[in-house]
Amino acid sequence: MAAIRWRAWRPIVLPLLFAGALLLAWQELTGWLAVSPMLLVPPSAIWSVLVQAWPVLLAQSWPTLVNSVVGFLLASGLGIALGGALVVSRRVEQAFWPHVLIFQLIPKVAVAPLFIIWLGMGPTSRLAFAVFLSFFPIAVSAATGFRAADPTALRLCRSLTATTWQTFLRVRVPYAIPHIFAGLKVGVTVAIIGVVIGEFVTAQEGLGYIIMFASSAAQTALVFATIALLCGIGLLLYGAVALGEWFVRRWYGAPISAGGFE
Amino acid sequence: MLSLSEPALPGECIRAEKAWKIYDTAKGPVEAVAGVSFSVRRGEFVAILGPSGCGKSTLLMMCGGLEAITAGRISVDGAPIACPRTSIGVMFQESTLLPWKSVLDNVMFPIELLHRPRREHMARARELLSLVGLSGFESHKPHQLSGGMRQRAAICRALVYDPDILLMDEPFSALDAITRDEMNDALLDIWTRYTKTALFVTHSIREAVYLADRVLVMNRRPATIVADIAIPIPRPRDPSVGETKLFNELCSTLRGMIEHSHRAARDVTPYA
Repeated sequence: MAAIRWRAWRPIVLPLLFAGALLLAWQELTGWLAVSPMLLVPPSAIWSVLVQAWPVLLAQSWPTLVNSVVGFLLASGLGIALGGALVVSRRVEQAFWPHVLIFQLIPKVAVAPLFIIWLGMGPTSRLAFAVFLSFFPIAVSAATGFRAADPTALRLCRSLTATTWQTFLRVRVPYAIPHIFAGLKVGVTVAIIGVVIGEFVTAQEGLGYIIMFASSAAQTALVFATIALLCGIGLLLYGAVALGEWFVRRWYGAPISAGGFE
Repeated sequence: MLSLSEPALPGECIRAEKAWKIYDTAKGPVEAVAGVSFSVRRGEFVAILGPSGCGKSTLLMMCGGLEAITAGRISVDGAPIACPRTSIGVMFQESTLLPWKSVLDNVMFPIELLHRPRREHMARARELLSLVGLSGFESHKPHQLSGGMRQRAAICRALVYDPDILLMDEPFSALDAITRDEMNDALLDIWTRYTKTALFVTHSIREAVYLADRVLVMNRRPATIVADIAIPIPRPRDPSVGETKLFNELCSTLRGMIEHSHRAARDVTPYA
């Protein structure tokens, strides 16, 4: 009985133990080796800065969080729509698909300054950059998903004289959903990266701005505290997507994996 | 073989006249169906029997409007077929149930697509399911069913919108022998009750003889129908039919024809 219980809890307990051990080692080693606080601060110092600067950090988290969420939602809508268009229309696919792939190859961070030229220093350019960054993984996985429909199911629809739209909604969309969620999970983390990069470049507000400011002032502890907060935001948004996936899985009631239906 | 000059009979349901299917491949054109002619009367159960890769499935899909006809003509109910019709129900080799839908919802899928009245068809769907022994499994998902049960559900789905013609493409070939015999009986049950015109593709001689009123034997090279054999076994048929002399004679006649056509093909193309 006890052995069974341990096996059930192990996947939760082991990572926590590992993280605890790592933090302890970090704490002890920085003290023991007398590492300069300019380079690396112990976890206890990060914690105290986090508590101290909490009001400021919280205020600056807000624009980062909002831009990430809005950017991710816009990218999801656009990405899924383009993915669908690529599959429904052969012409759209032939015209767009090569460009989608080529766009993937652009080191997108290099384009960030252009967004400021086009859209100014305000939140619009940060939002647009987040959309730009997270749009592609979502579009590609949606297109893959819409193509992943069982060909025999598509033939069945044809034999039943279903319209393209009926086939899309009733067969292609359900088959695509596991793939789309895989894309959304990548997209949501990339949207946060996009916002933070935007904040680096525009240096107006947000956690990215705090990191730039703190590192130029050699406040290493504050940099770490901000990174910890960004991790928290990432975890929150990723968790929201995972929760959505869980609900969809339950609605399906069929065994699905990342690769589609088993 | 049918003569082509024969005029369309009043009871004629499917009529193929010199139908061809030629695929363009990298190695040149391939004749999947080479000038096939036959006809099926209304209410008749016809099996197309042939070795795998002889083009019999392609021919069936052409009859259902799911494959384009390269040359010649196939008419269904007097009109040349160019695209799928709702008067035709198709059963495929795989059950192709949608994995996220329950058995009942899968059976109702055609009704949903065709915007037919839901309530009266729901009753029909339940009736069909009970006829194939799936009562009590209405809310199960496909992954919870065995292969045979899935194919039973697929029969119900093909019949729920009451098509006049049922086209079946080796629907039981993926099942084990015992399940397959059960499925044949279930199919005959349902066919006697609703008397659909049925065209059934198979590579099993016994299956063809057990089910059909007529067996069309299809050859590989050229891919055409070489014999049209009537099966005068009285209905209703049950598994004991398989023990009778007539049944076994018919089987061996057909086996001889398939072997013969094989040899003929080998004589023409020794290294094929």
